[in-house]
Amino acid sequence: MTRVRVLMSLAAVAVGIGLWFALTAPPDALQGGYSRLLGIHPPSMWVAFIAFGVTALGSVMWLVKKTDRWDRLASASVEVGVIFTAIGLFTGMVWGQAVWGTPWDWQDPRLMSTAVMFFVYLGYIALRNAIDDPVVRARRSAILGTIAVVQVPLVYFSVNLFRTLHQTQSIRPDGSTMPDEMLLAMFVNMGAFMVLYAALMVARIEVAKSEAAAASESTLAGEAVRPPRLSEVEDV
Amino acid sequence: MSETVVVAGTYLISYGLIVGYAVYLHLRRRRSQD
Repeated sequence: MTRVRVLMSLAAVAVGIGLWFALTAPPDALQGGYSRLLGIHPPSMWVAFIAFGVTALGSVMWLVKKTDRWDRLASASVEVGVIFTAIGLFTGMVWGQAVWGTPWDWQDPRLMSTAVMFFVYLGYIALRNAIDDPVVRARRSAILGTIAVVQVPLVYFSVNLFRTLHQTQSIRPDGSTMPDEMLLAMFVNMGAFMVLYAALMVARIEVAKSEAAAASESTLAGEAVRPPRLSEVEDV
Repeated sequence: MSETVVVAGTYLISYGLIVGYAVYLHLRRRRSQD
């Protein structure tokens, strides 16, 4: 069994346990069953923040060491982070429609900063796809990956810094505003999403390695093949 | 629409996206190995 399969199997078990905790948590007195979306919305955004932090780490390390492995780590983490941000935005909109009465507020700093972060990291993926030279691609995306991470604390603290429809943090230094069952469901799902993130990261890095090996092989084959010279062609 | 259907559908779509991405990675890796 390969490393990817082991991690994917572990992730499937962890997600199954997380789902059980999320869907059996008692409904909130005001939000009803919609509070069960807490099992997916906050964990997906936390994992996205971690993913973009890993991208920044990989980007800085590439700028220092200039080795492929750091570029692979940074780019893989962006892709996985974008998937989790998309899930965070989607589940937040469903919850917003049910509880706030609107899925989106264009004036809301938390919602808008998250959307901007999502599109900046989509731009990172587009930038990588637009450049053929691997060194230029790695350098430019490392610079973007290093700068773009400033959005993460901005998104996280936007609920404290600005007036926003989104509630402030439920877990604070002086305690939690949530009942224990909901808190437990959220943390179990956070753990499950971390395992899922690790599995997807390893799978994405394996793809990058495999594609790089295939590209180097095809270059060698291409160099070995050359058109025949006139002197080598026999008259028939 | 009942809240159970909305919550279940939201989970289904979200996990569907993750499973879809995992399948895409698997196919992409297999194609690069051919």
